[in-house]
Amino acid sequence: MAQGRVHLKGIYKRFGNFIALKHIDLDIQPVEFFALLGPSGSGKTTTLRMIAGLDTPDEGVIEVDGEDVTFAPPADRDIAMVFQNYALYPHMTVRDNIAFPLKMDKMPKAEIEPAVVRAAERVDIAHLLHRRPGQLSGGQQQRCALARAIVRQPKLFLLDEPLSNLDAQLRLQTRVELKKLQRALNVTAIYVTHDQEEAMTLADRMAVFLEGDILQVGTPDEVFNRPASIAVAAFIGSPPMNLLPATLDGDRLTVSGHSMTLPRAPQHPGGEVTMGVRPSHVRIDPQGLPTRLYLSENLGESALLNLYLGDELVKMRVASFNAGAEGETVPIAFDIDTIHLFESGSGRRIPLAGE
Amino acid sequence: MRREDGAHQGERRFALMLTAPGMLALLLTTTFPLAYLVWSSFQTINLAMPFMDGFAGVQNYVEMWHDSRYWHAMGLTGIYTFSSVALQVVIGMGLALLVMQIPAGQWIFRIVAILPIVLAPVVVGLFWRTLMLAPNFGMVDFLVQWLGFEQINWLGAPTPALISVIAIHTWQWTPFAFLVFLASLASLPGDVYEAARIDRANALQRFWHITLPLLRPAIIIVIIMRVMISLSAFAAIFAATGGGPGTASEILNLYAFKTSFVELNFGYGSALAVSLLIITMAVSGVLFYLRTPRRREAGA
Repeated sequence: MAQGRVHLKGIYKRFGNFIALKHIDLDIQPVEFFALLGPSGSGKTTTLRMIAGLDTPDEGVIEVDGEDVTFAPPADRDIAMVFQNYALYPHMTVRDNIAFPLKMDKMPKAEIEPAVVRAAERVDIAHLLHRRPGQLSGGQQQRCALARAIVRQPKLFLLDEPLSNLDAQLRLQTRVELKKLQRALNVTAIYVTHDQEEAMTLADRMAVFLEGDILQVGTPDEVFNRPASIAVAAFIGSPPMNLLPATLDGDRLTVSGHSMTLPRAPQHPGGEVTMGVRPSHVRIDPQGLPTRLYLSENLGESALLNLYLGDELVKMRVASFNAGAEGETVPIAFDIDTIHLFESGSGRRIPLAGE
Repeated sequence: MRREDGAHQGERRFALMLTAPGMLALLLTTTFPLAYLVWSSFQTINLAMPFMDGFAGVQNYVEMWHDSRYWHAMGLTGIYTFSSVALQVVIGMGLALLVMQIPAGQWIFRIVAILPIVLAPVVVGLFWRTLMLAPNFGMVDFLVQWLGFEQINWLGAPTPALISVIAIHTWQWTPFAFLVFLASLASLPGDVYEAARIDRANALQRFWHITLPLLRPAIIIVIIMRVMISLSAFAAIFAATGGGPGTASEILNLYAFKTSFVELNFGYGSALAVSLLIITMAVSGVLFYLRTPRRREAGA
């Protein structure tokens, strides 16, 4: 029924001595908005290019709707793609750019024009059809690239950092429209980004890439609230969660000499662990751990305190900015039921009872 | 220097003084000979019949109009220019597209391509005349016979002579087109081609819809430069055939030269040269005009 299931099995890719992807597996469901999130060089764009057919893996299989397309050329995959730099045809008008996929599809001329206008209207550039890409602003070029991608009804909609060249305000606006568009088109979208906020807001599910590996696959909620490893925990969140060395003994967790009882028993024999807590789950508590204020950052709607707990930097989000005196002592405590625990060696998440 | 107000007058005068020597040299070496050429074309200056010298008005041009050798030379100039430029563009483009497919070592082809260009045309003409096309000894002649074809007198028979001089010019200048196209191809954006592949354009469609239009400026500049040079080609033909046999490869430039410096009829020779000048300027003007507006691609 629903089309656009993408299944990657054991994809391995190297460029010279650089291993871009280390046997990754991924199962993307039909009509899903799926984000590939990771820093640059993590393999997310390479993965997208292989799904597009612009690159081929050295090992592994790519299936779309159960059909092996590992080595199929892009033309045989029924896909549309929006490139980071838009890749518009510079010598063609917006109209010709949008019409190009249809012309290549040998669609009758009489049907092309209304389809072009429809696609252009969807992204609000119907008034710019006679212009050339060079005469458009960045945002308009981006819309033109989107229109070219949606003018045909593709099985897969691939987006390679489509918002990264837009200014901040336009990016937020386009992000919303992109999500609406994808829902309206009812098509599988695979979206590459290094911006976790984009991934969190747009994606139904996402894969977190790091150094050619997928660290975690899940909904934004899962990735944010139950990071699978220290690496994910250190990447997700702005700023990411605080990671502090701690000792675990049964359900007693000791941080910097301060003990607390966990509400749910960790499934771990105990010993040295790493504790994670988000900056918004740190609070000031007169009975808490003494820290030294290093710097207070004003974020407008909230403020961020940089505190030193011994040698460990702890970031804490507070409601309002108060410059405070640097060097001043701030006693803090952690919201005990929001604490994450990770194995110190492997970095794996330690599940708590009921997880 | 743009005129803005009185305050810049002194500066302008100073700038003029500084450029004056260069301007003067330019004037003396280009403008003056041109003016002299035009003036001579309205005179009768014939060293064989000095007693006839004097102002001739448009007599030389009237004579030219009725001169079948002139029209023959004009026709040859057209054939020579059109076919050699067309061949340069097509072959140059083909080679550039081929070399682009080579992942490494393109620099070797760039260097090899420079060689014919840096040779003096006279050397090229002689080289082809003696080494390549000479009967019995020439490499081309040898090859033709070895392949079992009948021997062709490449420079001695009318049609082969014309073909030969076109081939020589094409051989020398195709590398120029090749280098320009190679540089242009290398600068084309890669993601546009990826977009085209995703939009289901096959290799031929990508060439036709993407490469050709994007190379249009390069193609036009190559055509302009080569047509201007081709119209006034001289040395290679002079060295290879001398315009012969008879007048079989005598393009306008050669006819003007022979009239002036062999027959010593300077007045008529000047008129022939002026007519070539007008044609060259007119053709370049048209080409430059075509370069500016956005028109549909006319093909290579």
